[in-house]
Amino acid sequence: MSGASARPGLFGAAHALFLKDLLSEWRTRTSTNALLLFAFAVLILVGYAVGPTSLTPEDRPAVHSVLLWIVLFFSAMTGLSRVFVKEEDAGTGAALRLSAPPHAVLLGKLLANLTLLGAVTLFVVPLFLALMSFEVKSPALFVLLLVFGNLGLASACTFTAAIVAKASAKGTMFAVLAVPLLLPPLVGAVMGTRVAATEADFFAGLDFVRLLVAYDGVVTTAAFILFDAVWRE
Amino acid sequence: MLRAAQLILGLGMVVIIWASFLWARPAENFVGQSSRIVFYHVPMAWVATIAFFLAAWHSAVYLRKRRIESDDAASAAARLGFVFCILATVTGSIFARVMWNAYWNWDPRQTSITLLLLVYGAYLGLRGAIEDSERRATLSAAYALVAFVTVPFLMFAVPRMYASLHPDTVLNARGKIEMSPDIKTVFFAANLAFLALFLWLYNLDRKVSRILREARP
Amino acid sequence: MDLVSENLVRSFGSRRVVGPLSFRVGPGRVLGVAGPNGSGKTTLVKILAGLLRPSSGHAFLEGDGLRRAPRDASEQIGWVAPDLALYGELTAAENIVFFAKLHGRRADRGWVDETIARVGLDPKRVEKTPLGALSTGQRQRIKLAFATLHEPAVLLLDEPSSNLDEAGRAVVARVVKMQRERGLAVVASNDPGDLALADERVTL
Repeated sequence: MSGASARPGLFGAAHALFLKDLLSEWRTRTSTNALLLFAFAVLILVGYAVGPTSLTPEDRPAVHSVLLWIVLFFSAMTGLSRVFVKEEDAGTGAALRLSAPPHAVLLGKLLANLTLLGAVTLFVVPLFLALMSFEVKSPALFVLLLVFGNLGLASACTFTAAIVAKASAKGTMFAVLAVPLLLPPLVGAVMGTRVAATEADFFAGLDFVRLLVAYDGVVTTAAFILFDAVWRE
Repeated sequence: MLRAAQLILGLGMVVIIWASFLWARPAENFVGQSSRIVFYHVPMAWVATIAFFLAAWHSAVYLRKRRIESDDAASAAARLGFVFCILATVTGSIFARVMWNAYWNWDPRQTSITLLLLVYGAYLGLRGAIEDSERRATLSAAYALVAFVTVPFLMFAVPRMYASLHPDTVLNARGKIEMSPDIKTVFFAANLAFLALFLWLYNLDRKVSRILREARP
Repeated sequence: MDLVSENLVRSFGSRRVVGPLSFRVGPGRVLGVAGPNGSGKTTLVKILAGLLRPSSGHAFLEGDGLRRAPRDASEQIGWVAPDLALYGELTAAENIVFFAKLHGRRADRGWVDETIARVGLDPKRVEKTPLGALSTGQRQRIKLAFATLHEPAVLLLDEPSSNLDEAGRAVVARVVKMQRERGLAVVASNDPGDLALADERVTL
C-alpha cells in the first residue's frame, strides 16, 4: 500500500520539484553546459577588452566590479528563464498545476534557479579573480554581496520567467521585463563589490548588503503573493 | 459641463504657454532662458510618477476584483505615463545640456525617470506579447505590482552611488530655487494644467478601450 | 461528493465555446460528454479540472455541505487528456514517483511497480526508457496512472482510449469501474466505446 494521503507541506513539494528539475537538467545537460560556456565566453571577452593590463590600478576596482556583475547578469538573462519556459513549451505545466500547490512550484523553481546561478557564480568568480587580477580586500563582504545579489537576481528572474512563459517572444520579453527589476540590486551589488575591492573594512560596504537584503525580501514576498495569479489560468 | 471644462483647459494651456515664454521672467542661477523649461519638465515628471501610481493601484484592484475596467484604467495610465515620461526625460536632458553642458549627468532624479521609462516600456511590451485579454490583464497587473515595489530601491541606491563616485559634481539645484511670484504662478498653473490634461486623456483612453471591447462581437 | 456544473459558460473573446451547461454527477456515477470535434468537450473538462476559469457560471465539488472550486480541491481530481503531457526526459517510474511525492505519497519500489502494472505495462520493460521514447499507447497508459495514483474522488477523462489497443481499452474500462467505487467520473469522447462506459450523457 502506498503511504499517507495527506498533502505534503509546502517544503516537501518544493523539494520534490527541485530534485525533479535537477534530475531533468542532468539528463539533458545541454542547457547548463551552454550556460557555463556562455559565461566563460563573456568573461574572456571582457578580459580581452578591458583586462587588467588596459587599466590603471586605481580604475580597476570600479570597472572590474561592474564587469563581474555584467557576466553574472548576462548569464542570468540567458539561463534563468528556462525553469518555467520549458514547462510551458513541453506542455507539462498542466500536470504541475494539478499536482502541486502554487507556492511550492515557485519555491521549487526558485531553488533550481538559485542552484543554477550559484553554479555559474562558483565557476565565474575564481576565474574572474585570476584572469583579471581582481583583488578583493574584504572577502567576507564580497561573499555576502554575491550571496544576496544572487538571491535578488534569482528571485526577480524566477518570477519574471513565470510571467513570460505564457507570452510570446519569450526570449526577448524576459530580458526586457527583468532589466528594470534588476537595476536596483545590480547597482547595489556593483557599488558594494567596488568597496569590497578597495577597502579591507567589512563594515564599509555593509550598506549595500542591507540594500540587497531588503530588496530580496521585498521581491520574494511580492513574488509569493502574486504568483498564484500568474501561474493559474 | 465636460465641454466647458475642456474649453477651460484648452484656453488655460494657451495662456500658460504664452506666460511661460513671454510673461514669467527667467530665474537667476540659470543659464539664459533655460529656467523656462521647468514649467514643462517638472509637471511632466510629476504626471509620469502619478500615472505609475495609478497603474499600480488599478493593477491591484484588477487582481482582486477581476473587472476588465480596472485593466483599461491601468493600461491607459501606463500608455500616457510612458509618453509623459519620454517628454520628461527629453526636457530634462535638454535642460541638463544647457545648464551643465552634458545631456546626462547621473543625477538621482534623472536616473529614476529612466528606470520609470524602462518599466513603462516593459509593461507595454508585455501587453503587446499576450493575445488573450484576461491573461494580458493578469500578467501585466502582476508585473506592474512587482515593478512598483522594486523601483523605490533605485532611489535609495543611486544617491549612495552618487556620493561615492562623484562627490564633486554639481548637485541638482532644482528644489532649492527661490521662485519669484510670477514664476511661482505659472509653475503651479502648469502643474495643474498638465495634470488636467493627463486626466482628460486618461479618461478618453479608457472610453476608447471600452468601446473597442464592446464593438468586437 | 458530487460534481456540479451550474450555468457554466466559457467564451474565448466573443466566441462561445461551452454552455450554458448545468448538471450534477453523484458518487458512483459516470457522466459521458459527447459531441463532434470542436464542440468544447476538452474546454469543459479543463474547467471541471480547475485548469481554466469559466466565463460565467460555476463548477464545483460538493460534499458534506461544503462547496469547493476545482482549483481548490486539486488533490481530489484526476485528469487525462490529449493536452496532458508528462516529463519526457524522465522514465515512467520517475514520473510516477515525482507526482506521488507531490501528493504526499510514499513511493516505494513495490508500489510504483504495482501502479505501472495496473495500467497494463511491464515495469521491467519500461524501467530504463524515458517517457518520450515510449510509444503513444504506452504513454497514454502512464497518463492514466498519473491521474489515479492519488486516488481522487473525481476522475476526468478526455479521449481516454486514444492511441490504445484492445488491451488498453480494457484498462480504461477497469479504471472507470474502480473509480465508481471511489467517487465519480466524467468521460468526454468521440469514441462510442468510451461513451458506453457512462451512465448518462450530455451532448455538446
